[in-house]
Amino acid sequence: MKIFAAIDVGSYELSMKLFEFSGKNEMKEIDLVRHSIDLGTDSYGTGKISQEKVDDLCRVLNEFHKIMDSYHADDYKAYGTSAIRETENTMILLDQIHQRTGLQLSVLSNSEQRFLDYKSVASKGTAFNKIIDSGTAILDIGGGSIQISLFDKDSLVTTQNLRLGVLRLQESIKRLDARPEQVENLLDEIAESQIAVFKKLYLKDREIENIILVDDYLAPIMYKGVEGVMAPSEYVTEKQFDELLNALRHRSAFERAQKFDVSTEQANLMLYSAILLKQMLHSMSASKIWIPGVTLCDGIAYEYAENNKLVTTPHNFEQDIIASAHNISKRYQGNRKRAETLEQISLTIFDSMKKIHGMGKRERLLLQIASILHDCGKYISFTNLGECSYNIIMSTEIIGLSHQEREIVANVVKYNYNDFEYYDTVYSGIMTDKTVYLKIAKLTAILKIANGLDRSHKQKFKDVKMALKDKDLIITVGTNTDITLEKGLFSERAAFFEEVFSVKPVIRQRRQ
Amino acid sequence: MEQNIDFRNPDYFVNRELSWLLFDYRVLGEARDKNNPLFERLKFLSITASNLDEFFMVRVASLKDMVNAKYHKADFAGMTPEEQLEKLGEAAHDFAGLQYTTYKRSLLPLLSQNGLKIVEQHENLTKKQAEFVDQYFEENVYPVLTPMAVDSSRPFPLIRNKSLNLGALVTKKEEAGKKKAEVEFAMVQVPSVLDRIVKIPSEKENVTTVILLEEIIERNIHKLFLNYDIVCVHPFRIMRNADLTIEEDEAEDLLKEIEKQLKRRPWGEIIRLEVESGMDKRLLSMIMEELSVQKQAIYQIDGPLDLTFLMKMYGLDGFEHLKEEKFTSQPVPALPVDSDVFEEIRKQDILLHHPYETFSVVVDFIHKAAKDPQVLAIKQTLYRVSGNSPIIAALAQAADNGKQVTVLVELKARFDEENNIVWAKMLEQAGCHVIYGLVGLKTHSKITLVVRREEDGIRRYVHLGTGNYNDSTAKLYTDIGLLTCKETFGEDATAVFNMLSGYSEPRSWNKLSIAPLWLKKRFLYLIDRERKHAEEGKPAQIIAKMNSLCDLDVMEALYKASAAGVKIDLIVRGICCLKVGIPGISENITVRSIVGTFLEHARIFYFDNDGKPEYYCSSADWMPRNLERRVEILFPVEEKALQERLMHILQGQLRDTLKASLLQKDGNYEKIDLRGKEKYNSQKAFCEEAISASRVTEKSMPDRVFVPETHHV
Repeated sequence: MKIFAAIDVGSYELSMKLFEFSGKNEMKEIDLVRHSIDLGTDSYGTGKISQEKVDDLCRVLNEFHKIMDSYHADDYKAYGTSAIRETENTMILLDQIHQRTGLQLSVLSNSEQRFLDYKSVASKGTAFNKIIDSGTAILDIGGGSIQISLFDKDSLVTTQNLRLGVLRLQESIKRLDARPEQVENLLDEIAESQIAVFKKLYLKDREIENIILVDDYLAPIMYKGVEGVMAPSEYVTEKQFDELLNALRHRSAFERAQKFDVSTEQANLMLYSAILLKQMLHSMSASKIWIPGVTLCDGIAYEYAENNKLVTTPHNFEQDIIASAHNISKRYQGNRKRAETLEQISLTIFDSMKKIHGMGKRERLLLQIASILHDCGKYISFTNLGECSYNIIMSTEIIGLSHQEREIVANVVKYNYNDFEYYDTVYSGIMTDKTVYLKIAKLTAILKIANGLDRSHKQKFKDVKMALKDKDLIITVGTNTDITLEKGLFSERAAFFEEVFSVKPVIRQRRQ
Repeated sequence: MEQNIDFRNPDYFVNRELSWLLFDYRVLGEARDKNNPLFERLKFLSITASNLDEFFMVRVASLKDMVNAKYHKADFAGMTPEEQLEKLGEAAHDFAGLQYTTYKRSLLPLLSQNGLKIVEQHENLTKKQAEFVDQYFEENVYPVLTPMAVDSSRPFPLIRNKSLNLGALVTKKEEAGKKKAEVEFAMVQVPSVLDRIVKIPSEKENVTTVILLEEIIERNIHKLFLNYDIVCVHPFRIMRNADLTIEEDEAEDLLKEIEKQLKRRPWGEIIRLEVESGMDKRLLSMIMEELSVQKQAIYQIDGPLDLTFLMKMYGLDGFEHLKEEKFTSQPVPALPVDSDVFEEIRKQDILLHHPYETFSVVVDFIHKAAKDPQVLAIKQTLYRVSGNSPIIAALAQAADNGKQVTVLVELKARFDEENNIVWAKMLEQAGCHVIYGLVGLKTHSKITLVVRREEDGIRRYVHLGTGNYNDSTAKLYTDIGLLTCKETFGEDATAVFNMLSGYSEPRSWNKLSIAPLWLKKRFLYLIDRERKHAEEGKPAQIIAKMNSLCDLDVMEALYKASAAGVKIDLIVRGICCLKVGIPGISENITVRSIVGTFLEHARIFYFDNDGKPEYYCSSADWMPRNLERRVEILFPVEEKALQERLMHILQGQLRDTLKASLLQKDGNYEKIDLRGKEKYNSQKAFCEEAISASRVTEKSMPDRVFVPETHHV
């Protein structure tokens, strides 16, 4: 048996969940402590968290630490989200927290955070699989932003972050000095336009039937039910939701708080959440809402369990990442067939070179994504392909990848076209990190020769075999077509490969 | 039809203070009941006196505060604070009258017949006794007395709350014989460190003779004021306003604030002055003036002041035959001796009925947890604990053993603050995490959580109760306890302690309902559900047992339910502000009160729920303070067998013909007319049942066979 503590330093609330893993696939929540502390308003407003709140934060984290110890927890993960991410002095803050509480707090990038949220939803197993059988969108409402993710069949294809978080909206509304009865209209206006653009760009002909709601404001209330308004349920119909919204909207924050048995602060945020949900339902014409009743902490624990092989996942999360990469490629009119060939070649090289490059599963995934996105910059410019691809990738969220991982992918794609820069000439950015630098170099070397093998974009190298012999990587191509072009252009790319791995790639043609 | 009825009509309700006084009358009734053993009657009379003292200090004082604050709002029975004070004044005078007739006319002669002679006045001592008394005074009393005289140079002394004093008028000796000798006030406190009852030599054999301490002092008072002549001596006693209304929002440190309040306590307003009837008028007016006592606050008493000494009298040796046979709490059948309490709880939920079943199982439970290596944490709320509490000791030990111990100590438990602060500090020193109550709320819930790390995971053991974790009162109070390790209860218990530690409320509750946030709604819902069933023509019934009923919303809901046809049987020991038999309103409600050897204290609630009955127990009464200003817990009892036991308890009390009084239409309580009815004393019956149940388990213990070791260890 293992006990694990998941700590979420959210923008509106600190929470810690303790989980017990006993036996295979048994993940049980054993305790939950929550403490409201509004870090978001400070962060979003001034860029810094005030000293009093830092003190309060440390006090509560210390208590969390004690509680965790009282359960003799085997391990913990503590993550900060947007409020911590958006402070200007994040590093200083994290160090201070470590000094004062002994807890190592890490910061999740938005895409990592959403991916964990998504994992927490997926951790619901069969219920989740059933829902995503038909068209589904996840609406993940946070303090700073909301995340909308779309499923196609059973994998996640698109995810977009909109700066429509409830705390942020509350700040805007305050600044507008709106009367209570204006609030809904204003929110409608703000949200509608953004959601409409999202719909136009990404929804296209997808039919969305279900919306999975993940939020800390409205979902708990719906999950728990409201006397005289709605029974507690995980599944809520559009009609039930309309009734709930009616009960919410025609009340002052104080009345709402009384009726729904929450603090006035939460009563406000609930309404904002509900209006966002309404916008989603209407613009997507969805009819069902599912509230899995999970939080980021569930996702943190799930990931921990996955990494430590405490659970086996029925859902293939890697497939989600790959599917969204394909989707990005499609948006920039990438060639699916070509991407698949390149993917196949580069992964074959990766696999056959395992002993030499020493990289793992995660890097393989990054290579795969780099292959898929290798030519997305073409959408903008053929001549400045490297830079354009880099910029597109850096500005596109890929769910499930950390910021660092995304930057690795972007760099690999860039140096696939541009000349590689040597460590001593790099002065800023992610390439200054030695291990990351080497990873980029290795992955770039692989992508470069894979790309070289498919130079003509005619998928001549479909049937390709690799074998490592002494200092040579023998690439056997089973094709009857002329490969003069590839062979000719290969040497330059092969040189970099040899430089990185001390292995020389050699092409052999086997005519069939 | 219902719309036309105003269920909140003040005519439908009784003022809570007057209802309380009726309760004390019922206790007095026990003191007057010839069927009770003589010494038990002494005890009941003593209880009426201490009850009344507390009532004055808290309730009358608070009414005075309201009047002083010019608060004129009428209560739900339509009475303003002034009106209530006036009515109470009259009623309390009548009550005191009846207390002393009971003492003098019924009990004293009977005591004398049974070999206990109380010398009421020192003038009646025999010569031999007088000598004994004087010597006793010289040796034991004189050294601890602090006589005080008042003249122009010395201010009027501070008189301690609830203390018994002798007031005297004295004149200076040199002025003796002068026509207009100046009369001065002198006084001495009857020391509380000495026993008030003093045994003296008897004239006859087999008779115990006693005299009260104040008589001994009175006889010898001239020895205290040597330069004075004593004009007259009379005992008097004062009661001050002791209600601590702490400004909790302002108090930075609750603990310090209460300590401060305690020191301030002796200087309250005088709300009652008891004097010996026939006290010299000059002396009386002197005291009245100096202490600014109002006329209505004076009680002229024909007999010894402060009858609580009768509790000591009860303790005199040699009168066991005049007392109720002592009952020893019985072992719990579900928890055989030497069994592993955790293992037994894992088998099934265990219901405890104290004091019939021993409270020591709860103490053992905590003891065991403190020592068990698998236990990670113990969390408990403590409201009132006994002086030398084994629970406190166990908690301290647990902390010492490296367990995480969290204790919520309620410092606001009335009259117990001093005591609580001491051991709360002790627990803190032992390494426990002590929470000194919640700002603005009293934590009245009784809950213990033991977290254990077992092979197959974390398991939580929960004890929930209706009574305090107090091993002394648990022998006298009837209470219900539940031991369970059901996950749903464990999760809720964890959430309760998280809330008490200042964390956010849980997203939902599995089983428990917590005041002040959810409990009242829950009760109203449960009552209303019966009403709906009745309106749909289904059978509907509520049986509820508690200590007090005075929450207007609950009473209104009960009236509505009764009007709709719900059968409601209430077993309310103390205050009950609703009326029975109001046509169209409360014809379906019965109210009975049981006053017996044990103090009825359990809160049990039964709701028929259209044939799917629900049973609950709680730390809360149906009073606004419980439902709105305290942390309280309502928990369901779900196991069929345990539900049957609860029903048995409720039925037993409804069946009681000896100790139950029925509330009448006219608002009075009457004992049940025994004609054609079986004599049934529910408390006695429960005692007998507990004894026979524990015998059965003794029998079923394994045979006494030696078990040989089969291999060398």
